[in-house]
Amino acid sequence: MSGFLVYVARRFVQFVLVAFTGVTLAFLIVHLSPVNPVDQTVSLMTTFGATDPASVAMLRSALSELYGVNGSLAHQYIAFWSRVATGDFGPSLSAFPTPVLTVILRAIPWTIGLLTLSTLFAWTFGNVLGALAGYYRDSRLLKLAGIVVTAVQPMPTYICGLTLIILFGYTWPIFPISGGTQMNLSPGLTWSFVGSVVTHGALPALTLVLVSLGAWFNSMRSLVSNVVTEDHVVYAELAGVPSRTIFASYVARNAMLPQITGLALSLGHVFSGAVIVEFLFAYPGMGQLLIAGINAGDYSLVLGVTTISIIAVGFATFLIDIAYPLIDPRVKLG
Amino acid sequence: MRMHRGLMLALALVCTAQVAAAQDFIAGIPRSEALIIQGAPSQNADWFNVWAAGGGANTNGLQQLSTDTLWFINPEGGPNAWQNALATDKPAYDADFTTMTVKLRPGIYWSDGVELTGDDLVYTVQTQIDHPGMGWSAPFALNVASMEQPDKYTVVFHLKAPNSRFHTLFTVRWNAAWIMPKHVFEKVGDPLKFDNNPPVSLGPYVLNSYDKSGNWAIWKLRDDWQRTSLGMDLGEPAVKYVVYRVAGSPDARVIDQRNHNLDVINDLAPEGMFALMRDPKSTSTAWRKTFPFAHPDPTLPAVLFNTMAKPFDNPDVRWALALAIDIRAVAMGSYRGAADVSALAYPPTGAASDDYFRPLQAWLSEFELDTGKRKIKPYDPTIATQLANMVRPSWGNQIPADPAQLQTMFGFGWWKHDPQAAAELLEKAGFTKRGNSWLKPDGTPFAFKLMVEGDAIPTLARAGIEIAQEWSQMGIAVKVEVAGTTLRQRLNVGDFDMAIFWTIETWGGHPDLSFFLDSYDSRFIVPLGQNQPPRNLQRWRDPELDRIIHANQSVSFDNPQVVELGRDFLKLAVREMPMIPLMAYNKFAPFDTTYWTGYPSVEDPYSASGPYWSNIRYMIARLKPNPTAPKS
Amino acid sequence: MFRILRDLLRSNREFLAGAVMVSAVLLLVALSFVSPYDLMATYTVPPDLPPSGEFWFGTTSRGQDVFWQITAALRNTLAFGVVVAGASRVIALVVGLVSGYAGGRIDQAIMALNDTLASLPNIPILLLVYFVMRDEMNWWLLALAASLLGWTYDSRLIRSVALTLKTREFTRHATFSGMRMPQILLREHLPYVMPIVFYTTMNNLIWAIGLEVTLSVLGFTDINRPSVGGMIYWANASSAMVAGVWWWIAFPMLCVAILFLGLFLLAMSVNEYIDPRSRLRRLRTQ
Repeated sequence: MSGFLVYVARRFVQFVLVAFTGVTLAFLIVHLSPVNPVDQTVSLMTTFGATDPASVAMLRSALSELYGVNGSLAHQYIAFWSRVATGDFGPSLSAFPTPVLTVILRAIPWTIGLLTLSTLFAWTFGNVLGALAGYYRDSRLLKLAGIVVTAVQPMPTYICGLTLIILFGYTWPIFPISGGTQMNLSPGLTWSFVGSVVTHGALPALTLVLVSLGAWFNSMRSLVSNVVTEDHVVYAELAGVPSRTIFASYVARNAMLPQITGLALSLGHVFSGAVIVEFLFAYPGMGQLLIAGINAGDYSLVLGVTTISIIAVGFATFLIDIAYPLIDPRVKLG
Repeated sequence: MRMHRGLMLALALVCTAQVAAAQDFIAGIPRSEALIIQGAPSQNADWFNVWAAGGGANTNGLQQLSTDTLWFINPEGGPNAWQNALATDKPAYDADFTTMTVKLRPGIYWSDGVELTGDDLVYTVQTQIDHPGMGWSAPFALNVASMEQPDKYTVVFHLKAPNSRFHTLFTVRWNAAWIMPKHVFEKVGDPLKFDNNPPVSLGPYVLNSYDKSGNWAIWKLRDDWQRTSLGMDLGEPAVKYVVYRVAGSPDARVIDQRNHNLDVINDLAPEGMFALMRDPKSTSTAWRKTFPFAHPDPTLPAVLFNTMAKPFDNPDVRWALALAIDIRAVAMGSYRGAADVSALAYPPTGAASDDYFRPLQAWLSEFELDTGKRKIKPYDPTIATQLANMVRPSWGNQIPADPAQLQTMFGFGWWKHDPQAAAELLEKAGFTKRGNSWLKPDGTPFAFKLMVEGDAIPTLARAGIEIAQEWSQMGIAVKVEVAGTTLRQRLNVGDFDMAIFWTIETWGGHPDLSFFLDSYDSRFIVPLGQNQPPRNLQRWRDPELDRIIHANQSVSFDNPQVVELGRDFLKLAVREMPMIPLMAYNKFAPFDTTYWTGYPSVEDPYSASGPYWSNIRYMIARLKPNPTAPKS
Repeated sequence: MFRILRDLLRSNREFLAGAVMVSAVLLLVALSFVSPYDLMATYTVPPDLPPSGEFWFGTTSRGQDVFWQITAALRNTLAFGVVVAGASRVIALVVGLVSGYAGGRIDQAIMALNDTLASLPNIPILLLVYFVMRDEMNWWLLALAASLLGWTYDSRLIRSVALTLKTREFTRHATFSGMRMPQILLREHLPYVMPIVFYTTMNNLIWAIGLEVTLSVLGFTDINRPSVGGMIYWANASSAMVAGVWWWIAFPMLCVAILFLGLFLLAMSVNEYIDPRSRLRRLRTQ
């Protein structure tokens, strides 16, 4: 057990490192800005009408610390970190004077829900299909499935989503094409609310699944085709073990392991897909916030979403990493 | 096996979908009683204080349905353009415009049962004077010296200086100073920090529910609707629920309207509009049922010159650039031909045709310009016919042959595309041409950037690209710069050469120019680098302009002399060309007639129809349910 | 190397298919230099015409010939992808080889940094770069930023190969004979690593092009420069899908799909070729 704790501690250090690097990267990027965002934002606000001086001062000080216009670079870096650590990105310009963190916290559940469901589904379904294709190499059906899945893979996410909108929103309208839930529904664990969330999330999730299915399928298929030639499998075949058992216990289980690592590594990529999908389907998640923030010139919101998404992805990777040794007994926990 | 499980899951999803699709589109609200309007996403959905900045539900029904003030002007014009809302009559000024008296209508109640009295009006003004930083603090503080209340419903304003347009602060054209509920705000410590959630309504609708993520807001008709100004004037509105919802990309909006889930769309690309209106199965209607379908907003997109930056301080250079534009190509490029061009610095909408465009046609046709080598008459009154001929192949008999009708559709005329004259004017200004490039008098190449906004105002971006192309072909190195959200700020500080933006905004329903003209007074002009208050973003200075502004301020709002002064302004703008007027800001806004009918149209322009305009309440109150609507 | 290429083309159907597809795309790119229209201009041809004998891929709502636009779009998009792939290859090679050869603590440190960068989500960071640099943004800057994010996965692969090479006989010979590390890396190890580099280049190219398309579709690059994502952006801005101008979106998508599929097939077949077991299996089944 203590070996496991050491392992968790190690992985946690890695997570901290990721978060640290990512946030530092964000800090460096915003300091590259040739434009002074503080003055620009404040004058944007006053263009649209007079504003409460106290709130303006609050926004100004938040931006000054986030974008660092006072003091030395080291001083600015510390001020930046103190804001990120407390999650205080100041008020959002486009939603003045709501704090950025409040806005982001509203959107996070949607993104997490969408990503978790679609990633798990794509990973499971893709791996199963790929494993079958790798083991039963002569099946026509599986070969066809392989071609279909691979053909869809290079399709950019945007076009996939747009096609689904036309298909299911217009030609055969069974799914809603925008929004997170039906209007006027109060959130809660009621059948109608959950059902509404599922139907509204169906098309975005389907888009994400379709574009990522191919990668899992192909990698699993090549992994399985390698495992199949290994000694223990050959021996089992010779010994007359039924092929279904070989497939499930000998082959798939072993080939699955690199896929778990692959899952952890792919989380950053998956989040990128979510940005487009949320934009396309007006899904109220973090991706839509990010794009809306960029279009509105809302500095604090953009910075907030970026840093929080970096930390969130790092944390998700950490969770998957600590689940790994529970599945693979070979991993050294020392 | 796992695969079967996947299939079962998919099956379950489809079943859920069918179940969900069979539900109401909006939970708990009958579709036939709801009007669904396209709204804007709002991150600050909990904020309903329209007097302190916060965005919030401003464009999601708050200022359209729940607020009210003294007067409204219908931007479409017409004999009933002026509407007395909370006031019983037009504003009464004394002879030298230092006092204004307002009589409020008795019997108007807030939605929580408190009656509206002069106390609320006085409170609105006094609070905003006392708390600088609120929406109307600055103009009230500048204008109001004191107020008195001779009786419960009357308020007398004593102004610090004569101002014949003081009442315009309470006159709605998109919005105006709304009346604050004294009994609610006086209990609050700081009005700037109060979120006013849920808001108390003075208009006929109250807040029913809203999405915390800002994607929708639902408003419900008040039970005591007859105690509002709208209810008193127009009777009981048939629309029981008004839903403002975010509708996604323009494609999604079209699909939603086709599925009858979106009644009023704010704006579409011209191509999307054409597709919707061309479809014979479509139940959509629009301001115009035939080409060009568009509704012209009373705001004028123009090419702005930074007249404080060389070489745009020379009117000859500005005229040269104007003559180098082929407006027909611009109309085709930006609006696919569905454009209403204007050579005058005035949007060709509402009452403008009769007040300004027709009377000035003779003067425009005779207007002479000296190119340095010869005198030309640059005006071409046949542009409408030329544009019509260009679109007739695609639209056939939707384009009439009568030139008078074409003028109302496509505009009264524009400047002839004359690159020869443009070249002569540039030479007159000291420019020289080397090869195919123009050089400024100091020998450096004539190159500059044309700034456009980009995605939020796409038709103007298209126009900018087309114009830049034409200038480049003439030998002037122009590059289009997409400024995005920084556009307004850069315009304000004068950090631009030229830009395409709205610079003239008018009442639409009234010929008085004060709505924008007052801001053109030369005393407001600041040096480059400082914030120029809108709308004189060109920083145009002219003694004749000041004369017109002051003369206009000295006569009352309804004095017929106002139109004369307006014409003087337009003639001056032609001569000096501080901006190149392009066309009306056409919006492609389709309405779905499946559930509701009676939308405003060019034949019946009884109200504004833009979702974000507060004036839309007059449309909502007049809509009638469609008897053939599906029962749900 | 040419012998290998010839063998692959002859024996491996997937490689042949992939090579054909990629060559077709490259041909289109070459054609862009002889385009009869100025490809930055609008309204050079009548708008909204469906594919016909005169306009093979139809025309756009902006009055441009879709076929010639695609040639320029592919050129710009491919150029972006090549720059990103090239720059990140160099970084991945240097990092992977050095880390694999050095071993021990240095290797651990470098790989820790590598994994850290690999876990970062790319799009938010690139969007932040775009947002911050907005006015000064050009595609070189974006390519640089993307390449700084794209080397992490492949350097790990290269490192694992380098690790095995380190213990081989010829490396020890080279060390004993006095070659210095950079020389060894360049002269002895690099040829072994090349097939993997080829495979990762294909993948990286797909990733970079996908990135460019994504950013352009959102409108976050210079939209006046023809690019595949840019074409889709303009098509959406003109409601092409709903207006029925399907050819404006379909043909760029088809070309990108062919390019991706071609690159993917090339990568897969080379990968199979590298691994001797799979190469043998292929020979066995033929």
